[in-house]
Amino acid sequence: MKKMRKKSVLPEAQDYKMESPDPSQIEEQDEKSVKVTKGPKRQAESTVSDNGVLQPLKMSKQELYKAPTVEEFNQLKEAENLFHCNLLKMQMDELLKEVALSEHRKNLLDFFVQQITHLLHTVPKSEVVELEDLSWLSGVEVPIRFIPKVAKGKFHMEPPESINLVGSYPLGTCIKPQVSVDLAVTIPATILHPMDAINQKYPQKRALYLAGLVQHLMSTKTVGSLRYSCLHGNRLRPLLLIKPRGKDSSSVTLRVHAVPPPNFLKPSRFHPQKNNVRTEWFTGVADKQQAELSEPPTPHYNSTILGDHLPLSHFQFLSANSTQCPAFRDVVALLKVWLRQRGLDQGAGCFCGFHASMLLAYLLSTHKVGKSMNAYQLFRNVLHFLASTDLTKNGITLAKNADTKAPSIPEFHMAFSVVFVDPSGHLNLCADMTTFTYKQIQHEALLSIKIWDDPTVDCFQALFMTTKAMIRTYDNVFYLSELVKLQASCKKLSLLNELMDHSGNYVLAAFPFILSLLQQGLGERIHLLAHSLPPDPEWSVDSAPPKHKNQPPLCVGLLLNLQHALCSLERGPPADSPKATEFRQMWGSRSELRRFQDGAITEAVLWSGSSVCQKRLILREIIAHLLQLHADIPGSCVRFVGQLDSLITVDKEDSTTGEEESLKVIQAYEDLSRKLWQLEGLPLSITSVQGAHQVIRCTQVFPPVPVKLDYSFFVGEKNPVGLMPKADKPCPYYITPIKVIVHMEGSGKWPSDHLAIHHIKAAFHVCLGELLNKHHKYRYHAKPTYLDVWKDGLAFRIHVAYHREPQILREALTPEGMLIYRDNPEAQSLELETQHKPYLTSTLHGLQQQHGCFGAVSRLSKRWLASQFLLEDIQEEPADLLVASLFLHSAPFDPPSSPQVGFLRFLYVLSTFDWRNNPLVVNLNQKLTAADYAELKNDFVVSRESLPAMFIATPNDKTVSVWTKEAPSVQMLQHAVMLAAKSLQVVQAQLVDSSLKQDIRVVFRPSLEAFDVLIHLVPKQVPLLAKAVDPPLVTFQQGVFKGSATTERALPIIDYDPVRLYLSELREAFGDLALFFYDPFGGTVIAVLWKPKAFESQSFKTTLMNARRVEVYNDVVSTVPNVEAILQDFHLIGEGLVKTVELRTEKWVI
Amino acid sequence: MAASGSEHATVIPGGFTVLSLKFREEDAAAHQLCVKEHRIRSEKNINRPQDRTLFILNIPPYCTQSVVTDMFQQFGPIESVELCEKPGESKSSSRNLSKHFRPPEKYCFRVGYVVFKKASSVTAVKCHPQSSPLIVSTKERPVKTGIHKWIEQYSQSVIPGQTLQTAVDDFMNEFDRQKKEEEVEEKEQEEEEEEEEGWVKVKKGIRGIKVRPHSQTANEKTLQKEKAKSERKELVNFYSWQHRNTQKEHLAELRKKFEEDKQKIALLRVQRKFKPY
Repeated sequence: MKKMRKKSVLPEAQDYKMESPDPSQIEEQDEKSVKVTKGPKRQAESTVSDNGVLQPLKMSKQELYKAPTVEEFNQLKEAENLFHCNLLKMQMDELLKEVALSEHRKNLLDFFVQQITHLLHTVPKSEVVELEDLSWLSGVEVPIRFIPKVAKGKFHMEPPESINLVGSYPLGTCIKPQVSVDLAVTIPATILHPMDAINQKYPQKRALYLAGLVQHLMSTKTVGSLRYSCLHGNRLRPLLLIKPRGKDSSSVTLRVHAVPPPNFLKPSRFHPQKNNVRTEWFTGVADKQQAELSEPPTPHYNSTILGDHLPLSHFQFLSANSTQCPAFRDVVALLKVWLRQRGLDQGAGCFCGFHASMLLAYLLSTHKVGKSMNAYQLFRNVLHFLASTDLTKNGITLAKNADTKAPSIPEFHMAFSVVFVDPSGHLNLCADMTTFTYKQIQHEALLSIKIWDDPTVDCFQALFMTTKAMIRTYDNVFYLSELVKLQASCKKLSLLNELMDHSGNYVLAAFPFILSLLQQGLGERIHLLAHSLPPDPEWSVDSAPPKHKNQPPLCVGLLLNLQHALCSLERGPPADSPKATEFRQMWGSRSELRRFQDGAITEAVLWSGSSVCQKRLILREIIAHLLQLHADIPGSCVRFVGQLDSLITVDKEDSTTGEEESLKVIQAYEDLSRKLWQLEGLPLSITSVQGAHQVIRCTQVFPPVPVKLDYSFFVGEKNPVGLMPKADKPCPYYITPIKVIVHMEGSGKWPSDHLAIHHIKAAFHVCLGELLNKHHKYRYHAKPTYLDVWKDGLAFRIHVAYHREPQILREALTPEGMLIYRDNPEAQSLELETQHKPYLTSTLHGLQQQHGCFGAVSRLSKRWLASQFLLEDIQEEPADLLVASLFLHSAPFDPPSSPQVGFLRFLYVLSTFDWRNNPLVVNLNQKLTAADYAELKNDFVVSRESLPAMFIATPNDKTVSVWTKEAPSVQMLQHAVMLAAKSLQVVQAQLVDSSLKQDIRVVFRPSLEAFDVLIHLVPKQVPLLAKAVDPPLVTFQQGVFKGSATTERALPIIDYDPVRLYLSELREAFGDLALFFYDPFGGTVIAVLWKPKAFESQSFKTTLMNARRVEVYNDVVSTVPNVEAILQDFHLIGEGLVKTVELRTEKWVI
Repeated sequence: MAASGSEHATVIPGGFTVLSLKFREEDAAAHQLCVKEHRIRSEKNINRPQDRTLFILNIPPYCTQSVVTDMFQQFGPIESVELCEKPGESKSSSRNLSKHFRPPEKYCFRVGYVVFKKASSVTAVKCHPQSSPLIVSTKERPVKTGIHKWIEQYSQSVIPGQTLQTAVDDFMNEFDRQKKEEEVEEKEQEEEEEEEEGWVKVKKGIRGIKVRPHSQTANEKTLQKEKAKSERKELVNFYSWQHRNTQKEHLAELRKKFEEDKQKIALLRVQRKFKPY
């Protein structure tokens, strides 16, 4: 019989089924890569190895001490003086190289532009027709929607007056990957009429002209594809997108803007306070009386028309600036990358590369930056300016010698929320930007500066390389779908003037009002309200422009202020104050008069929710209520992202997610600790009582809940010591022992022999137990290694410790009689348990006090790790530290304030962190300085080979990474990284796209495809069955009731988990042959993976015979695993627990 | 598989006889035990007499000492059974601990040394045919596994405080007694030495060599102190060549950092870490 391993074939990635790669394959791959590293030593010069591991740098003396050239000296000096981190400068240089256009592509582009220019110049002249007559167009639609169709005028085609390159490409600030070249096509003056600016006639002619160009271009073969789009989401400014034929088609776009001849219309006609769209025309209703007197101003419409006049002059202005300042292009490129990573550079009301260039020009012209500064300094100054200047209050202008007719800054402020006036003095460049977008930019800039100033952060990664997706950035995210409903809100909010101003785009008209409504309602519950920018639509030339309602949903993100966010009471002004009406208006029927304990009678709104989990939903309730009340948006249109809380729900009836339970346990622990301190009659006094269990730092996935016992369920009620499980009943309720370390004072009485210390500790356990029982009537059970105390329905496990014990374990005598200390695993594990663990617990408990949702994030993350069978490799403590790093080193994000965003970032960090080349430094309590960081990293690089695969350093543990020394292995870490990446992808897709009707729990269901054997367990014997990801409908009586009894007759069964016992026996017996995977939270299956190496035929050795059988062939004896007997042993060892053993023989045969 | 008659024992090259072992009579699969007489040239362990000891490989975890005894009783009376994780080693239980303090046994495959009373029993085992397997659990003496075993384990682990206390007391009394004995011995020795005409021999250190402290930490401390002392005597940047040297060092440092950064960049470039999106 032979075991053969076929190549495991994974099924194709089907929709969103979780795919876990075959771990054995990883193993094999990795063995190869390990071999590579162990290969011949490389030369000192080429220190970067092929497999991407940093090697310590070796430089010869000669190289180090040779006389420097002037150039080199200057370079070194600059690196030393200018940049607090030389690396950043180099990284920026590399980044610029990466995004810059290659010469080859530039040549291609130039050629293409020439071709198109030539083509456009040959547009034939056509006959004059009525504006409404579209019969001359065939197969081409006009890229604009005529809202009121009555428009009179004439139109004809004619070759453009001139064609100019404008924008980023000729400026040299164009960057990859989306290369777009702007081409301004000047419409001949004969087509236009000076009065066209009124009532959208000009935009219509402009659109018609574009359509005319399309018709001409379609007749030729040089162009690849033709599509319409519009500039920054403004439907009145359609664009023509031209892509070349061939393979460049995907990356290069030519954007054709149709512009009027310069100075065709007087800019003063587009003063923000003037009207250019008549109400009568727009509504179609003649209302003579009103019309003449007070036509409402149309600032946005005006700036649209005006904006069309200025591209050429803006371009000249910018190119003049860029020739003055050598680093201009680089900075704008950097700013574009920065903006793009934050999603600010596209859509309606964006802050794009053009704005960035203008801002830089402003800084140059006001001498806020010098012309000779380098890119690094300029970039920093731009960020600094953005962070410190509020353009929503103090607008800026580029106009030098103010035109007397140009509007003043205050006039701009009245019409627009963000003010940045262009060089002509008439146009507000940020006309469409909302206050919220600007606040978001400010926030980002402030955050970036903060990151930059922190020498311990890898700022390059945070500034430029991390994409800040909405869903990973904001604590709460919701989507406004069915945008057609915003029409109703326009009516409700009576926004006719705004609607007219935005030429019927009800989304853009209503959105700012809805946002400020939410801002007002949420008040101090949030730090920041940010929204996604409505994207620029794109449509083909033969179809009508898409309707407003077909836009993708709008996304709104909130950064919570946890101090207030979960408050269930909204206290308003006193009932008799004038503000009370305002408050009542704001909250509608939810506002009630309430009398408070301090005697005040005020208006107030009380939201429901008692547990933290329920209180997290208050924000949703507020948002839904406000939108319904004031904007007529029904709750069905608002989709809140996040359904993850249910995975860590502890109590379904009270719907709690463990915060309350953890708190209760901590209270019980503190009470116990107090009682321990007060004990009298101990031979030595207690020096410290420390919790060393996860629940005490609020990170236990399912914190223990106080229980009462059902005595009939157990054996041995009369037994003075404790109850016993019955074999015929289901497995008893699992009672988690909560670990407490009690240090006893040092004294000469302690023996210096470790066995004796062990016994003395046992004596202390007995003694403590007896005293607790005598004074407080607690049931106890003393064991040599610990003492279990049953207190208020919770079990505490007390370990007595002696601070010198690890040292004594290390002691050894040299032959010369000198006392030396030899490190050994025993001492290390003892130190881990009695010193590192309590310290970590108290530190993380402190972190929980600072960041309210640390515990929840950690629990959710660990639930995921457990469900993917990873919790035994990435254990509880490293997982907690990883989560802690999300809070302590959140750059470029803010520390998470909701479990969901924390979980997403956990997956992100786990999957993207470069574990091979970097230590994960968790700077608990800010104890590490920049110098420590540098030292730590150097040590890491030097001894990388001997360090664990996942290296987590803390202030107390800079060189060893105590928590990850044993596990995970390189293979398992790689497996975890892949799973995390895949899970993140799936969760994000699910959360963003509501049309995927799948359960979010898919990422919590492991794929069992890759495993060789599945051991199915009897559900009755799985103690945590009810906590499974998919809890069963039928649960079993487990011998307990809820709530805690004051006095108990007997000690319950503590820490009895048959599955864990089974697993440990399996691992001890067959650990050399197979890997065993299990979800400790209610899993009913143990997945087994054969180790391929163990299955190779080996020659007979007395040390290598375990669970193998012999084969004799030609007098040579070899051994192979005795698979049949092993499979039978799986049954035998777990008798009563194992239901079936399923063989996945498609991958191997016996 | 080697040719094995129904009656004859299976002997493989290397001298091992292959026996089969089943947990229950009716089980389909069987483990293979390899047995051989224990023969090592330099065996010092008096508990394993060369002629009467049987060496067994691959004993499954559920076979405890008593189970093995029962199984091999059929070949002759047994003196002792010893199970260990690896061949060769013998249990180093220098002190007899009470059962509560012994480290838990590992539940793994083990090797065994069975000492029979008569040497003939060893040969009897070696002639046992593979076709008739040894049975672990029979009706007369069932062996518990799984849930039953774990419940039993749990019940046994629950012990009253007094039992533990007495165990501790016993050990500590013994420990104190030993300590005292050692002390007395030491004293006697000292006295003995002293008695030689009232002279005391001065130990530790030969003349000319400095006495080093007796523990590692103290040793390090003194070394540090000495180093600090010598450093204090040195003048920094006093001579112009020293000044030049420090400048040189500084430059070298900068250069090294620069090179290191360059190396990091090169690595990142290799990993394509500069693609922002």
